[in-house]
Parts: sequence; structure tokens; C-alpha cells
Amino acid sequence: MGSEREAAIPEWASEPCIMGIDEAGRGPVLGPMVYGCLYCARSYQNTLSSLNFADSKTLKEEKREELFENLKADESIGWAVDVIDPRELSAKMLKKRKINLNEISHDSAMGLVTKVLNMGVLLTEVYVDTVGDAEKYRAKLSDRFPAVKFVVAKKADSLYPVVSGASIVAKVTRDRALREWVLEETAENLHKDFGSGYPGDPNTKAWLEHHKHFIFGFPSLVRFSWGTCTPYFKDIAEVLWESDEMDEDGSSTANGKRQMKLSSFGVTTSKRKIEEIESSGKGRCKFFLARKLEQVTQF
Amino acid sequence: MEQGTQGSVVLRRNGNGESQGEEEKVVDLSGQVHLLPCSIKFNGPSSVSQYFKPKSTGIESEGLRTQEAYFRGRKLQGASIPIPDGYSGFVLGKKSLGKRKASDNSDGSSNCWEMNAKYKSITYWNHDSLPSQDDAFLRCFHWLSVAKSMHEPATPGDLVSASAALEKMN
Repeated sequence: MGSEREAAIPEWASEPCIMGIDEAGRGPVLGPMVYGCLYCARSYQNTLSSLNFADSKTLKEEKREELFENLKADESIGWAVDVIDPRELSAKMLKKRKINLNEISHDSAMGLVTKVLNMGVLLTEVYVDTVGDAEKYRAKLSDRFPAVKFVVAKKADSLYPVVSGASIVAKVTRDRALREWVLEETAENLHKDFGSGYPGDPNTKAWLEHHKHFIFGFPSLVRFSWGTCTPYFKDIAEVLWESDEMDEDGSSTANGKRQMKLSSFGVTTSKRKIEEIESSGKGRCKFFLARKLEQVTQF
Repeated sequence: MEQGTQGSVVLRRNGNGESQGEEEKVVDLSGQVHLLPCSIKFNGPSSVSQYFKPKSTGIESEGLRTQEAYFRGRKLQGASIPIPDGYSGFVLGKKSLGKRKASDNSDGSSNCWEMNAKYKSITYWNHDSLPSQDDAFLRCFHWLSVAKSMHEPATPGDLVSASAALEKMN
């Protein structure tokens, strides 16, 4: 999370303020997802409307860059971003207790609200763009921040200038992050012509095909949890995880994700499969059983 | 006993005793051996160091200095564990059969192994949980001290105190 204007709190921040929150890079199969927010005094709202922040997707890249530089220079506007690393997205969505993308998104947006409130900005109205159910999301936000009025809407980025501004902050930050991305992997023949990252983009498809690795899957820029990756995994080495084994026999997954797993109580439901992965100490005394130590005579 | 099998493990390169100097050239894989919480259905070489990048977290958990790494999109948390004194980790391979007579292994599946490399530390990884002294892998090492006590020759003093304890129970 970062902002270039953290040090000094502007005077207008103690007036009632409005804020917009929008995201960039939710759909792509690679790169970070960025949440951005933009805030200003309510009294500045009319001026803001005249600044021509249309929904960032309808603007050309150069125009977005220009508008971003303008709003950064505007002393009546504050902004902040939360850049969620693709490794973090994959890891959360592939945890034993899986966290879905909506939950990650909500946490990020709430993190931005908390951050701006903690800076001392008097937020009274916050406009939020959403992909999922607007009313449920609004209730969740209001519950967490009772003093703030939330307006949650689909396509809020084209309805409210303050959200359009936030979408520019988010989109420009994501584009820059991708442009400047340094691949962590040091294998030869890796390149960065990954296109937009959207699953339908021919450049993205070609990049994925070229960067597929038999053991490691993909470089960690890729969101392994995306359905887009699944077809590529068919031709590479199979990897079995204990958390996936549980999914297959239906004791966890989507709707039951908050349930305690049987394995937490020491009960293994899919014994055969687990044994393929690790030794069990089965049939031996408790000392060995607890340490999964078994005697191997043939290996 | 279950069905007995015969085999041998030679813990010395060129175990047939050709030149003593060779022993020093044993490959040391300390710090490069990783135990992952998954099963990879593949045996063979791979470009591990180019893709698998463990980082120290600076967080200490139950006396273990933790590291983190990612594999196939999952976050792994691990710790590097020294192999206890008096023990060593070995990478074994099936012994090459070149010099042996075919009659020694009629079925072709030799159970003779030799050391390809050794290691003095191993990094084990958990999916989703910080390394802990309760992890089964660390608890395995308890066996070493139990085994030591069990196999130590009993001294006359041990016998005296054991029989005294027995009498008390009766």
C-alpha cells in the first residue's frame, strides 16, 4: 500500500470528504491486482466532475497517464493504492482454507478505507465499484465503518467521477507495475511480452505456452489459481497436495470453506491417497504413529 | 519379521576401495535438500535453483528461523534443520551393475545402493502453517535419542536401580 502524500495532512481533510474506490487487474491471469482510491472534500466535488476522469477503460493509456499526473499534482485531491502481488493472490486462493477473490477484494478496499481514516481524513461518503452482490457488500462495509455512508454499485467507475478518478489511479499503477515487473525466476529464455494478461489476449496465450514449466508450472507472475491455467497443467508433472485430496471427496470446498476439516481432528477421510504422499506409521505403536515413522524394507 | 530382503548400502564413493582420495570429492548438498508438503509425480533433474527461491522471513517460530517460498502458486513456510550430530543425510542411488556378473541379479532388480551425495542440513516446508516443534518431521528426530537409550549397554548400576524399582512395585 502506498501513497506519495502521507506526510502532510491537507487542511481540507477535516471537512466532510468523499472517496471513490476501484480496482484494476481483477480478470487477468497474471500480474498484481491493484485497488486504488481517490478522495477530496465534498465541496470540491463539482470541480472534480470537470476534470474529465472518464472510466479508465475508455481512455487511451497516454491519456490515463496524463490524468494521473494531473491528479497527483492537484493539492485538493488525495489518493492511495494497494498492490496485491500475484503470489499473494494465488497463495490465498490455494490455501487449505481457500479465500476467494471477492473476499480478497473486500479486504483490500476496507484496508484503504482504514488507511485513509487513520490518516485523519474525515470520510463521510465512500463510493465503491463492485463485481459481486452490491447490497451484501454495502452491508459488510457499513457494519465495519458505521460512521461512513457507502454507495456500492456495479459500473460505479462510469457513474461517479470520484470512482472514475480512483479507477485511473488503480489502472495506471497496475500498468506501471507490469511494465516494471522483474521476473523472480532466473531461467533463460524468459521474456516479458505477456500482453494485457487477459486470458483471451493472443500475446498472453503465447506467453503462457512459452513459459510453461514441467515441474514449476509457471513463473510466479502468473496466478496459478485462475481457471485459465488449468488446461496448461494437463501436460506437466502432476503434483498432489493434501488440501486438494480433501476437496475431491467433498469434505471441504466452496460452501463449506469455514467448516473445520476432519483432518484437524486427526481423522483422515481419504486414506489411500494420503498414504501415497507420506508415510503413516500405520499399525505401529503410538510413538511411531504420531511421528509418521514407518519401517521400509523395500525401496 | 516380514518377508526378508537382501541388500547393501555402500556409503562411500568407489566403495570397492580403489582410491582413498576420492572420498573427499563427495558432493555436499547441505542447504539444497528440500522436503515439500506435496507429491511431485516425477523423478529426475529440474532447474530448481532458477525457479525455487526461498527467502528468509526474519521471523523466528519456536526457535526455528523461518523461510518462505512459493511452489505451484502455494505459499510454503519452512525451516532449515541441521542433521543431528552423529548422523548424516545421504542421497542414494542404485549401484551400477557394470562389474557384476549377470547371475548375481537374475531378476535385474538389484537392491544394492551407493551414496551419490550427502547433506548435513535439510529444509522442510509446510503448506500454510509456520514450522513448529510439533511438526511430524521434527518429531521424527525424537527416535534418535530413544534408540540411543534402548541400545546402550546396561551397566551394573542400571541393573541395580532397575531391580530396586521392580521390588518397589511388588
